Amino acid sequence: MRRLLLALALAVATAGSALTQGGPSAGASGAASAADAPPILVARQLAESEQLQVGQIVRMSPHGSGADARSYRIQGIFEPTPDPAKLGTVPRRVRMHLPDLLTATPEGRPAFVESVTVGLRNPADAGAFARDLGSRMPGLSVRPTGDPEAGGPFVVLQRFHLAIAIVTIIAATVFLLALTIMLVEERRATVGVLRLIGLPTGRIIVQLLIEGVLIAGLGALFGLLLAAASERFINLFFQWKYDTVLVFVHVTRDVAARCVAIAVPLGVVSTVTASWLMLRRNGLRLARR
Amino acid sequence: MTTATQSAGGPGTTTSAAPAVIEATHITRVFPMASGQVTAVADISLTIAPGDHLAIRGPSGCGKSTLLHMLGCVDTASSGTLLFNGRDVATLSDRDRSLLRLTQIGFVFQRFFLLPMLTAWENIELPQAESGVGKAERRERTRELLDYVGLGKRAGHRPSELSGGEMQRVAIARALANRPRLLLADEPTGELDRTTGDQIAALLDRVNADGTAMVLVTHDPSLADRCQRVLTMRDGRVESETTR
Repeated sequence: MRRLLLALALAVATAGSALTQGGPSAGASGAASAADAPPILVARQLAESEQLQVGQIVRMSPHGSGADARSYRIQGIFEPTPDPAKLGTVPRRVRMHLPDLLTATPEGRPAFVESVTVGLRNPADAGAFARDLGSRMPGLSVRPTGDPEAGGPFVVLQRFHLAIAIVTIIAATVFLLALTIMLVEERRATVGVLRLIGLPTGRIIVQLLIEGVLIAGLGALFGLLLAAASERFINLFFQWKYDTVLVFVHVTRDVAARCVAIAVPLGVVSTVTASWLMLRRNGLRLARR
Repeated sequence: MTTATQSAGGPGTTTSAAPAVIEATHITRVFPMASGQVTAVADISLTIAPGDHLAIRGPSGCGKSTLLHMLGCVDTASSGTLLFNGRDVATLSDRDRSLLRLTQIGFVFQRFFLLPMLTAWENIELPQAESGVGKAERRERTRELLDYVGLGKRAGHRPSELSGGEMQRVAIARALANRPRLLLADEPTGELDRTTGDQIAALLDRVNADGTAMVLVTHDPSLADRCQRVLTMRDGRVESETTR
């Protein structure tokens, strides 16, 4: 049976199937003996939810009524591929070999299988496989699960994230500018004295610019370290909350580079703007705060 | 530490025959306000020669400080001509005016305006560093100036650790750091008690005696009486000028 390339997941609930638990040992229930019952793998969450154990015999039916039920032996527990679209629900999934699935599906009746996950030996073939299968079976939606761009929900999620990011950046910019103006204003007396002593405006702006770059750079670094530190905790919390291995937060190099690319110029621009606004004033007025 | 050779700009400089430090001709300063224009200084002509000791007196709001700021290139005249070392200040860029303040003019203010995060030594060293004086020369000059104002042992103290009189001494030393031709003091004893004020006045007399031209703005008659020339202002104009 292992020679089969495909491991299929039968979405029991969506197929309108019924799953009933048999006895604790082989042959305790069902028509088939433990030795004859086809092996299946059960999703971990389903096993925990229904208190299923390896070696147990379960009966599954392709109908909601439980008709035509067949016995299967639980050979193992598997961790299902996380699906953000089904977060918070117990994945009622089992895996079985394709001939067993065909046997379980009554011939001549419409198939109620809503989705089939196909595992390939070489994941790199996913795109070609999806294109090939899609062209052979018009109407079937085939998408590689490893490509977030390919899935509707992922695209929506990504746009949602982008919208949040834009709003956050705009809010952060306003906040940063206000903060920088306050920080620069705090130093107006010092800047005023420097102007009175005879330091040119450009010299002071360069000084503040260097400080702005350093502060923005350190701020970006701190933000990244905070993100990296909180990444683990956020993932642990939501993985616990939704009982999934889905990774919710992942600070990649690309994300880090984008953060620095946005934070440093923002910090510099806000510092220079705040400094320039202040330096337009007379040095003596600045010194007399 | 003063010696017979000390002259312009405090210790370690020499006096030379030089043109007038300041030549102001019919300078006026008008401030545009929401309620209309306010003329703070009106049509004042003034010459300050090297070594001059001039006091500007007058009631509050008569334009003394505005005039001082124009003389110190902090502010520019709305009309009239102001020459510093023969150069028309109005034609100078902001950078050149800054350079002029840095190298040729020293400021002493009523509220000292020392940089609080720097020590007395660093406050005095700062203008020298900004004008490109070498490290060794800076060190020597700063030590010399601290001794000159009597604060040789307070070099490492920050302004918050100094008394008012000591802060003003540091401010005077900082003003002299680049051996300026002109020292401008705006109410230099205004925040000090009588005894300390007298000490500061004596120090300023010594700076002037050593060759630095000095202009003081003051309400204090005793401080004004120490000067060779006293200019009395009222309503932005010179009411009288006396020379001793």
